[in-house]
Amino acid sequence: MRIVNPTFGLSAAAGEAVALKPVNWKTDAIALFSNSKPNARELLDGIRTKLGAFRSVDNIDFVAKNSASQGASKDLIEKVAANYRGALLAIAD
Amino acid sequence: MKDTTEQEVIEIGDLDVEAFNEYATEQGWSDGMPLFVPTEEKVAKFVERVRGDNRPFSPVPPRQVVPTLQSLAANAVMAGCKPEYFPAVTAAMRGVLDPAFNLHGTLATTHSCAPMVMISGPARKELGVNCGSNCFGQGWRANATIGRALGLMLINVAGAKPGEMDRSTQGNPAKFTFCFGENEEENPWTPYHVQRGFAPTDSVVTVMSGEGPHNLNDHGSTSGVGLLTTFAGGMATPGANTIYGKGPLFIVIGPEHAATLKRDGFSIESIRAELFTRSRVHASRISEENQQTYITTGHKPDGDWFTIAPTPEDIHITVAGGPGKHSAFIPSFGGTTVACVRIAS
Repeated sequence: MRIVNPTFGLSAAAGEAVALKPVNWKTDAIALFSNSKPNARELLDGIRTKLGAFRSVDNIDFVAKNSASQGASKDLIEKVAANYRGALLAIAD
Repeated sequence: MKDTTEQEVIEIGDLDVEAFNEYATEQGWSDGMPLFVPTEEKVAKFVERVRGDNRPFSPVPPRQVVPTLQSLAANAVMAGCKPEYFPAVTAAMRGVLDPAFNLHGTLATTHSCAPMVMISGPARKELGVNCGSNCFGQGWRANATIGRALGLMLINVAGAKPGEMDRSTQGNPAKFTFCFGENEEENPWTPYHVQRGFAPTDSVVTVMSGEGPHNLNDHGSTSGVGLLTTFAGGMATPGANTIYGKGPLFIVIGPEHAATLKRDGFSIESIRAELFTRSRVHASRISEENQQTYITTGHKPDGDWFTIAPTPEDIHITVAGGPGKHSAFIPSFGGTTVACVRIAS
């Protein structure tokens, strides 16, 4: 018996490959990116404090998307990409 | 675009219905209820119904694959649809693919939301969609299987496997199916799809990612003002995403309540205005921690009151159901929209 696969689909075109440069976590600017869920800021604040034990935190900034239920805007992602060498995401509830 | 490693047509050997269901469950294709077998012959009959509708589908998040009419039809067959339901099912799929619907967020969230599907216009009668007594409940094949087909597509095409990509903490029975029709014949105002700019002769599917319906029981009030007091009180709940996420919501008014509101001079606009003001939640009913969360995410109170929707226009109103003194409040996921798609003829 032949059936039609209910999961079948064509994969969307892949995005352009980007050459990644290594991040120096001891000196580079880092974004602490919140998913805007309650307590995300507290989690990221704890990470910033721990990073402060071995590096300057002057260029470690908090960033948050507008809504916990919606994706980050393209503008925000581009701003983070332009201004930071690394980003740490809080994605848990 | 390139083919995935999957095959669109699969040879599964000589399986009876029971064996097919075991096979489908092992593949992760099931919602837990028995499935019909999506043979090539059955699928072809469904696809034939939408041959004139050649608009491509966009990639379906979170899995980001572009479905074919065949793979969508396979889900409609498995759900138990009749072929003539398939244009309504594909319209529902196009609705959830509206970028503002935020399909990725609504499927991956811990919230309990499921897609509400409402059918308006002549298709209600043509397909046998229940718009009257028990319209949210069991007993009607079109209601049961159109909603179920969309749910199966979200599992199988979108990839929202429960406990994997679908991270809902508790889920919701509406994830099995949630489809009903407007009761346009007993709607004393404008049918919902006409409110949205469609012609009365258009058949339209409306989708919103929401909770199940919350009953608004009012046997005592004999005035429109009294009914809206009950409606607003039922809507003013600190636990719904409508206050947390500030999105749209539906009020589905039963025909008897609608007649009372109309008799007392209420219009769709005045009901919205009244409910928007009176369904606000006082800060004393919201924990201080949650108040801080709302405020820091941009949902500032109006004095000591938190509104449950961004604007009165986010309160969507229609009429459905049969005799009795009941209406319903359907809160949404919050970060979503109410999308309408005309059913291709």
